[in-house]
Amino acid sequence: MSLQQLDSTRFEEIIYDNCEPCLVIFSKKECHVCKEVVPMLEGMKPQYEGKFGFYYVDVEEDKNLFQRFSLKGVPQILFFNEGEYHGKLAGKVEEEAVEEKIEEIIG
Amino acid sequence: MKRPALTGKLLVLGVDGMDPRISRKFLAEGKMPNLQKFIERGSARNDLVQLGAIPTITPPCWTTLATGAYPGTHGITCYWRQSPESLDAVVYNMDSRNCTAEQVWNITSEAGKKTLVWHWPGSSWPPTSHSENLSVVDGTQPGSVNMGVAQLDWEKVIIATPEIKEVRYAPRVDKPAGVGCIISDLEDTLDADVDDEMMELWWGDTAREGGEIRTFVMDDEDTEVVIGSKVAYDIVNSPLKDAAGWANAPEGAKEFTVLTSGGVMRRPALILKNDAGEYDRVAIYKNKKADAPIVILKRDQMETGIIDDVTKKEVTKPACRSMKILELDPAGNKVRLWISNALDISNDQLWHQKSLYKDVVKNVGEVPPVSLIGGEDAELVHEIFGPSWDIYCKWQADSMNYLIKEKGYEVVFSHLHNIDCAGHQLWHLGKTLPPWDHTDEKTYQGFIEKFYVQTDEYLGEFMHLLDEDWTVLLVSDHGLIVGENVPPIIGEYGGLNTKVMEELGYTVMKKDENGNSIREVDWEKTRAIQIRSNYIYINLKGRDKYGIVDPKDKYDLEEQLISDLYNYRDERTGKRVIGICLRNKDAVLIGANGPECGDIFFSVEEGYNRLHGDSISTSEGYFETSVSPIFVAAGAGIKSGFKTERTIRQVDVAPSISVLLGLRYPAQCEGAPLYQIFSEEV
Repeated sequence: MSLQQLDSTRFEEIIYDNCEPCLVIFSKKECHVCKEVVPMLEGMKPQYEGKFGFYYVDVEEDKNLFQRFSLKGVPQILFFNEGEYHGKLAGKVEEEAVEEKIEEIIG
Repeated sequence: MKRPALTGKLLVLGVDGMDPRISRKFLAEGKMPNLQKFIERGSARNDLVQLGAIPTITPPCWTTLATGAYPGTHGITCYWRQSPESLDAVVYNMDSRNCTAEQVWNITSEAGKKTLVWHWPGSSWPPTSHSENLSVVDGTQPGSVNMGVAQLDWEKVIIATPEIKEVRYAPRVDKPAGVGCIISDLEDTLDADVDDEMMELWWGDTAREGGEIRTFVMDDEDTEVVIGSKVAYDIVNSPLKDAAGWANAPEGAKEFTVLTSGGVMRRPALILKNDAGEYDRVAIYKNKKADAPIVILKRDQMETGIIDDVTKKEVTKPACRSMKILELDPAGNKVRLWISNALDISNDQLWHQKSLYKDVVKNVGEVPPVSLIGGEDAELVHEIFGPSWDIYCKWQADSMNYLIKEKGYEVVFSHLHNIDCAGHQLWHLGKTLPPWDHTDEKTYQGFIEKFYVQTDEYLGEFMHLLDEDWTVLLVSDHGLIVGENVPPIIGEYGGLNTKVMEELGYTVMKKDENGNSIREVDWEKTRAIQIRSNYIYINLKGRDKYGIVDPKDKYDLEEQLISDLYNYRDERTGKRVIGICLRNKDAVLIGANGPECGDIFFSVEEGYNRLHGDSISTSEGYFETSVSPIFVAAGAGIKSGFKTERTIRQVDVAPSISVLLGLRYPAQCEGAPLYQIFSEEV
């Protein structure tokens, strides 16, 4: 199941107005690590349906969001809950690490 | 030998950078009534002058005040000391373990006097005695309590208008005066090294563990007065629109977004209408679902003690902030807001005993952050920088008075940094010199007055002690001058000064493909370097890692160097800019000799000085300023309404404290008690 893309307006709504527990992967089309991590997240998404959101930001299309979080390099997975930032995972990450982080948030 | 004490309770009120010459100007104008009363009730010289130690740099002078020893003796000879590994690097020096002379507070505490050393930036931290009577608060940097170790986030200006379409964040923007706060091109505003926080670089954990600091002062752009006059803060731009999606937004409120924590923390905010339908307040919330705001800000009022979570390096902690509305359009079409840096409220690592931190926070309040942005931006100086120090001065006075009254401290050594902090940002603008001709000296002379009036109010907080049998000594480490000229590139305390030494052929920097000097010393060709405030080192074989000068040639090379320095002429005025030059062995005359003082000590000539540090203590500047420190004493054991002609040296303060309290002198003390001002023969 593919991830929903966020631009800065949708980002505001989902993360801050709805205060949804979710992750957002900041990725780039041409990045080969992103090409491994994004499908992994797509595979995980169904099992968290209704409990935890999965989104992505294309950093070339939304450079402002990338800079706003002072990120250096892609991919980076940022975690949010109740409008609060809950840390990030960078680079080639394993499914277990993402699961662990999600569990930490939704308990 | 035992002596009877002349007093049982003694407070040293230290004010960093307080200059007797300009104090006299403001006294004559009636602007320092508390200082006036203090002088009338006590003793001082007519000129209020204390003869400062050399170098006229903060940690050496505070260490001299605490030990009665000259810098060459106590070994603290600049902000930093020379790196043992590299001639072009320095290492942290505000560590009491580097001090080779005994501090007088060891004597008072070990004699059974409950003693407090409050933020004394000269050999106070870590505590120097195991006595349970000794308490120490910070002292690891000159700024403000906890500034070096508890900063979690930087200062911000948020601007919100309906025209801004999306939230944008630009970290640590160097903003020249007069430029607006709208982020138009993010690429231009981003600095690659935004993580390099100067406070942390100079005073943080890595520095305190002995890491080398390498800074090159190669041209005017590298000098503190140029760097200090630019103000750097995070800028946030946000849309301003009707509140939507809130659990509890008042009628007519408009929303905007505040970002903190390097952009990762987002706080929704509202502008609120009053009964007359005008927007006059800002409320900041944790999120839109929150019932109550974190804070409601009113126009023209700085709020402090605002506790909110801050994330730094992936760790989230509660922190204390101050905030103020800079501008709020009554019609609701624009808001500008300042947010202070954030201080970690759980950080008690520089409080001994740690219970002291809890006591002060509980009974007085959280440590208020001070602003470091002002410089050429007169609005920020007026609205933010000055008021943040008003709050800090009051908090410090309240803390000290609380500890004196409720915790029974009998001897207190204290330090306040308001004048020096403002001086380093603003004093050079007190004369309109060509590089700053876009500023107005009258405006900045007004700011100098503002910080002296603020200091007078601080002194007023302690006047009651004179009626309660206390002795109070008002001292400073040095004054600060308003420069007559743009200083030459030699004698800047913050690093390796290359320009003059390159012109004279002693220091050789490596070159790029265009033949321009780069920030790397060519050690194979360098015979000497000038580093820190006043020191020149010969690049000596057998002593220095890349030494090229044979020890047998050292004496002649020093002689040649001294001649060349005296003959050097300023490129702008054609005049001599070097004051005195002494070989290390001869610098004992001014107490600047020994292993921490280089091979040659030099000073910059009066008229060419930067704020302080490169000059001797007697130098004077524009707008009735001087580098001299101040001395006034009053209360028990001190003659009332008395003027002395005695030269009061900085080394005389510690032995005078010994006599006043009836205790022995510090072990390495080189000064003598100020017996002329004591109320009884001793």
